[in-house]
Amino acid sequence: MDLEDDTTVLTTLKSFNSFISRTDPPQRLSEHSAGPANLQSQYKRSMELLEAADKVQSKNRYLQLDQQKKQMELSHKRARYELERAASDSARDLEHEVDRNQDLLGRIKKLEERETEATKNLSEQVTVNRSLRKNLDGLNRKLEERDTRLNTANQTIISVRDEIRELKQKIQNQDSAVSSQTVENQELQEQLDLQRRKYQEVSQLCQSLQAAQTSCSEHIIKIKELERRLALQEQDFAIVRNVKSEVAKVPDLEKDVKRLREDNAFLRESRENCSLLKEEVEGLRRKLERMEKAKEELMNMELEKERLGEKLRAWENIGQSTGLNIRKPEDLSREVIQIQQIEISLKEQNYTLNSRVRSAERSQSELRAELSQQRSKTLEEQKKREAQDALVRRLQKRVLLLTKERDGMRAILESYDSALAPTEYSPQLSKRLREAEEVLQRTQNHNTEMESQLTKAQEETGTLKLQLQTVELELESLKKQQASAADSSSSGTKEEVSILRQKIEDLEAERQRLEQQNNVLEMRLERHNLQGDYDPVKTRVLHFKMNPTATAKQQRQQDVEALREEVTRLRELVRSLQDGGAAVHLQDDSGAHAAASRSLSLPPSKEVLDLRKQMESSELRNQRLKEVFQRKIQEFRTVCYVLTGYQIDITTENQYRLTSVYAEHMDDSLLFKKGSNGSMQLMETEFSKTLGEMVALHLHHQKSIPAFLSAVTLDLFSRQTTV
Amino acid sequence: MTSTLKGITLNGSAELVAEFFSFGINSILYQRGIYPPETFTRVSHYDMSLHLTTDPKLKNYLTNVVSQLKEWLFECTVQKFVLVITCLQTNKVLERWQFDIECDKSAKEISAPREKSIKTIQDEIRSVIRQITATVTFLPLLETPCAFDLLVYTDKDLMVPDKWEESGPQIIDQSEEVRLRSFTTSIHKVNSMVAYKRTDSA
Repeated sequence: MDLEDDTTVLTTLKSFNSFISRTDPPQRLSEHSAGPANLQSQYKRSMELLEAADKVQSKNRYLQLDQQKKQMELSHKRARYELERAASDSARDLEHEVDRNQDLLGRIKKLEERETEATKNLSEQVTVNRSLRKNLDGLNRKLEERDTRLNTANQTIISVRDEIRELKQKIQNQDSAVSSQTVENQELQEQLDLQRRKYQEVSQLCQSLQAAQTSCSEHIIKIKELERRLALQEQDFAIVRNVKSEVAKVPDLEKDVKRLREDNAFLRESRENCSLLKEEVEGLRRKLERMEKAKEELMNMELEKERLGEKLRAWENIGQSTGLNIRKPEDLSREVIQIQQIEISLKEQNYTLNSRVRSAERSQSELRAELSQQRSKTLEEQKKREAQDALVRRLQKRVLLLTKERDGMRAILESYDSALAPTEYSPQLSKRLREAEEVLQRTQNHNTEMESQLTKAQEETGTLKLQLQTVELELESLKKQQASAADSSSSGTKEEVSILRQKIEDLEAERQRLEQQNNVLEMRLERHNLQGDYDPVKTRVLHFKMNPTATAKQQRQQDVEALREEVTRLRELVRSLQDGGAAVHLQDDSGAHAAASRSLSLPPSKEVLDLRKQMESSELRNQRLKEVFQRKIQEFRTVCYVLTGYQIDITTENQYRLTSVYAEHMDDSLLFKKGSNGSMQLMETEFSKTLGEMVALHLHHQKSIPAFLSAVTLDLFSRQTTV
Repeated sequence: MTSTLKGITLNGSAELVAEFFSFGINSILYQRGIYPPETFTRVSHYDMSLHLTTDPKLKNYLTNVVSQLKEWLFECTVQKFVLVITCLQTNKVLERWQFDIECDKSAKEISAPREKSIKTIQDEIRSVIRQITATVTFLPLLETPCAFDLLVYTDKDLMVPDKWEESGPQIIDQSEEVRLRSFTTSIHKVNSMVAYKRTDSA
């Protein structure tokens, strides 16, 4: 019902909408067809239309709203209807549900009864279960045991099977190995057989080799023996030669021996004579010496005698020279004593006189000293007076100066006072005043200082003059004393003084000389000391026994000796080498001699040894070659001799001597000479003279030497053999 | 040791002088080329670098001589100490280094140490050794191989020790002498001088 309402509503809506849509366009068409003439009308129409549209729209809206309301109401109704249905349904469901509920409750009760029964059954079952389970467990255990046993059995079986397999494999391997080894064995046996055969062959070869070696060694031994015999023979040859040479020298040696013995005897005799002569000579020498000594002594004695004679004469002459009565030495001594006594008395007198003189002189000197003092005093007083006069003069001068200064100052002051105003210039004036006063004071001080210095200088000069005068006085006094002394004394004292002076001078000269000598000696001593000289009495020079100089000297000596030895050794070696160079072959042939000579030489270097070996080998080769050549030549010559019938010898250069086999005499021979152009010419011999016909025939006529020779051979043969 | 004490005793003085001789001889041997320079090493003493031999034989000889010399210095019986250089070829003496020793014998009786500082003594010794080194400039060259000997001038009444013997003074024939510096330990005074053979007369 509702649905039908809805559909009617809808269809009305649709029709309405379609109606609206129709009404709209014809309205618009009508608008356009009217035309533009009347805008206002159009406008009014449009306005009216608009209003109408608005009205229509509002109506539409109203209708829509009505419809909507209706729809809403319808929906409300529907909802209610549905709700009612639902309610009714739900009521029915409820009833159903209640019924069900009751059924269910009944069921529940039944079920509960069953449940209780079931629980009982359950418990019974459970107990049964447990028992069953226990059985099961026991069975299970048994099963497990059996299982384990089975497993172990299985494992053992498996292992055993494995072992069996392994054993089988081993057996197979061993079988294979055995087979292979048998195969190898067979092979080895075959190889063994081969080896045995080879071994036999090799042993056979060895035996043959050994046999050959033994034969070789035997041959080598034989060769060595032969070589030794050769060497011995050569040594014997050399020895024989040396012995021969020595033997040749023997007669000369015997002669020398005889001569030497004679000389010996003669020399012995002469030696004895010599000794005797020497003794005589010594005796004579000693005599000579003694004689010479005696001579010298004689000479000395004669000189002494002369000297003594002179002395005697002098002594004897004294008596004559002095004029005294002197003949004997006693008189001399007496005179001397007398003179001495006189001298003594005179000396005594002299001394007394001297003492008097000295006392007089002393008094004189005292008086003079007093005189001098007095004089000095007077001089001093004079000087004082003079000094005081000088002072007075100075003071007067000072006073003058001062007055002048004062006047000057007063003038200045007056001038200042008169010229200038006091107030303005008073400070300057005062300053100037002060300065002037200071200057004044300075000058005054300077003055006083100068004056004091002057006074001091004057005093010093005064004292010096005093001293001078006193010294002069003393000098004068001394001179007077000397003069008086000289006048008062006697001639003897004058002489004494002169003698004393001379002595003093001599002594001084000697002193200077000695000083110079001393200096020179000190210089020498110093020099010697520097050089290293010493006083053997006080000092001793020591040095260490094993000191470097001694060892160095020893070392040097040893070196020198060693060098000398080496030099001699080298010289001998050089000599031996020079001798050995001439006889090299001897050294090679005679091994013993070579060894002996080599003992002198230096240790040979490698080069030398190599060269010697080369030399020996080359010489050996040469020797062998020579032997071979000799043999060959000998063979050839014998063959020639046999075949041609002539023995051809070379006598000299280019000269050939032919001797026939069938020669009657040994000397029968033909001489051929080879010319410069190479042709052979027959020379004249005794034998060739007998063959003149054949010479003419064969050589001159036929010009064939072989024909000639064969003719000669035939001729000789015919002569030799008897038909 | 005298280096730790302030004064000089007779023993200390003898030791100082012996030590100076040891170093001085080594220096002279090196400077004059008596032994090859490669047999010398350098040591430091007296605040300067000195040469000392490494040859064992020479060292042994020097120690023997210097130890005996020290004894004699202690007894104040030694007067001079000489180093003589001889030419091996001609056996002539070419150089003579002479050290005069004056000993104050009163130090033997009075055993109190004397006031002289070791430093001054060492300074003096150093100047002497320097002068020895400097003298090489005017000494003639030693062209030939030479050997040296050490002589000691002692008092006559001294007992000659075992390994020592008397010898000559080995004076140079026609020599020139030069005086060098001296030093004193206040107990021993050492004067040095060198004498050499004139080259024009050689």
